[in-house]
Amino acid sequence: MIETGIRLCQFLVLMTFVTLHNTQAAEYTVHGIADLRVSYIDSVDKGYLNSGQGKLGLGDGLHFSLAQLGADISVSWENGFSAHGIVNAYPKASGGGESTVLGITEAYLKYRSLPTSSGYRLQTKIGIFYPEISLENNAYAWASKDTLDSSTVNTWIGEEIRVLGSELKVTRLGRLNNDKYDLSVSATAFMNNDPAGALLSWHGWTISNRQTLWTEKRPFPWFPARADGQALAGQADKSDPFLELDHRVGYHVRGEWKLRGKGELSAGYYDNRATPYKVIDGQYGWRTRFYHLGARWRFSQNLSLTAQYLSGDTLMQSQNKVDVVNNDYASGFVALHYNWQAISANKKHKSTVRVEDFSVTDNDNTWGDNNNEQGQALTLNHSYRLSKPWFLSAEFTLIDSHRPARYYTAQPVDLIEKQWQLAARYFF
Amino acid sequence: MVSHPFLLRSALIPYYVVLASFLLISLTSWTAEACSTENSNCVQVKVNNIKNIPLENMVVYLEPLAGQVLPQQNEKVTISQHSKSFIPYISVSQSTAPVSFENKDDITHHIYSADSENKFSFKIRAGKTDSKTQFNHAAEIAMGCNIHDWMSGYLLIVDTPYFAKTDAQGLASFSLKELGKYRVVVWHPQMRTENNRMFLEKDVLTNDAVIVTLKQGMDEIPAQKSDEDFDFLSDY
Repeated sequence: MIETGIRLCQFLVLMTFVTLHNTQAAEYTVHGIADLRVSYIDSVDKGYLNSGQGKLGLGDGLHFSLAQLGADISVSWENGFSAHGIVNAYPKASGGGESTVLGITEAYLKYRSLPTSSGYRLQTKIGIFYPEISLENNAYAWASKDTLDSSTVNTWIGEEIRVLGSELKVTRLGRLNNDKYDLSVSATAFMNNDPAGALLSWHGWTISNRQTLWTEKRPFPWFPARADGQALAGQADKSDPFLELDHRVGYHVRGEWKLRGKGELSAGYYDNRATPYKVIDGQYGWRTRFYHLGARWRFSQNLSLTAQYLSGDTLMQSQNKVDVVNNDYASGFVALHYNWQAISANKKHKSTVRVEDFSVTDNDNTWGDNNNEQGQALTLNHSYRLSKPWFLSAEFTLIDSHRPARYYTAQPVDLIEKQWQLAARYFF
Repeated sequence: MVSHPFLLRSALIPYYVVLASFLLISLTSWTAEACSTENSNCVQVKVNNIKNIPLENMVVYLEPLAGQVLPQQNEKVTISQHSKSFIPYISVSQSTAPVSFENKDDITHHIYSADSENKFSFKIRAGKTDSKTQFNHAAEIAMGCNIHDWMSGYLLIVDTPYFAKTDAQGLASFSLKELGKYRVVVWHPQMRTENNRMFLEKDVLTNDAVIVTLKQGMDEIPAQKSDEDFDFLSDY
């Protein structure tokens, strides 16, 4: 793991020098976000970030936090090469937050060619990055653009899906073909995402703005199968989602159709091809596969939609190849955004309503590890652009979930959680 | 009989002056509207759509067909990048005339032309001007930005100094150095004709007026606007 990281860094540094050597003008840019929040939560004691059974990042009570401090540092050259490093910090929130962490979330080298005369463009990425799945987290440092907290789908992507790999993307630009639409297809081959699926199985779907840092280990709730002598006694206390355990290459493919001025439709498939019975230092391989669908559509100048759906399975076995965790999972959301242009100038007000439905279906017979879950969530956000970089937001989230595993820690199986947040977000 | 030489009667001179100046004023006001220089051969081209409604921003240019002498139009053409769009959408210039790109945005643009004969690309940083690009022959150049895919602009390079874009009344005016036979060409990237052009051959007379009516509708001009209304996207 560390060795791979070192090799990657060496490669990136080498590539940086190679590209530097070949060109003259390098442009350095630093962008980012600072997100100051006050949150009031009505849930259980501990949020999922602190190994609790709550579906929100923090537990019951009032919290003040610097919810994200992210920087997107890049160097780009005239020849289409660019190098990117994204650093995120999550300082400890008041009122029982997890400890402060700081680290890298993405680091990659990118090349984007110029379109050919027939309108084809090639883009490649190599390094640590997110497979292109989220339609929400496209602001700097993977911040969510229209809401403070991401949907369940993308909170999971931010937590467990990250790859060390190489992506190749071909785009056909409609502009150069007298078509109103652009088409793109991409394929990624990757390593280092073998334990993905563990956290989703053990804490279910969650809602927050937290991303797992590269090499960071994340906690999950206690359940009886972890006790000595039980099926999962060998599992480490924390899951380390970005590990390579079996040296098998995983892949992600994606296609996108984009109609200029209207929106886009996309579909993709992810398979980490992990060996489910491989275990190293308490970290198991989880064979995780899912497909995902996405849509963004502008109905009018003011009204637009974002929707995603993700569905798949994950399998983890004992060393003698008996299923220990075998789950199916699905989650989808529909978000409507309204720009209040008619009422106030400069697009200063924007409202978002997001509804979600999520589930995990446990297909194995492991005692003391019930992963079943069903739930729905509603998020209401209103954001006001105070000045060019400052956004003030108020957000309400309601999660209604049925999760039998809460019984293990004497918490209600059926739970309604509420969160009220006020935030000042500064983008630079 | 000895014929009398023609003499101006001094008493009539004031009348002649008034008359002449009246004529001159009406003539200059006409040329000021129609042509850029006085005492020239003025020709006006009007472009109408299929429903006979005048079309604005159509490029009209005149190519000599009888070996007429052409002056060189060396006026610099400036193409701005403003609010992540090319302004103007269509620029025209004569070959070898200087072309200048001005980035009025606070971000970098990566301007390119993918056309195999006129390929070029350069990055232009916030607030900078780039005048390195020059074109030595007639060409139709579709420009884009490799960072902002919705940006789209055109530069038409012609081999004649007689080019203009139609105004709100659909009019383009030219003051020709020499009259005679010309090919009148109307061009627009969204014109539904071969090579986006219409041709008309015409023996141009003094103060001539030519009307060109399109035989088909025009394609929609693509909006140079991002689908996203958020300024802090991490896409490049």
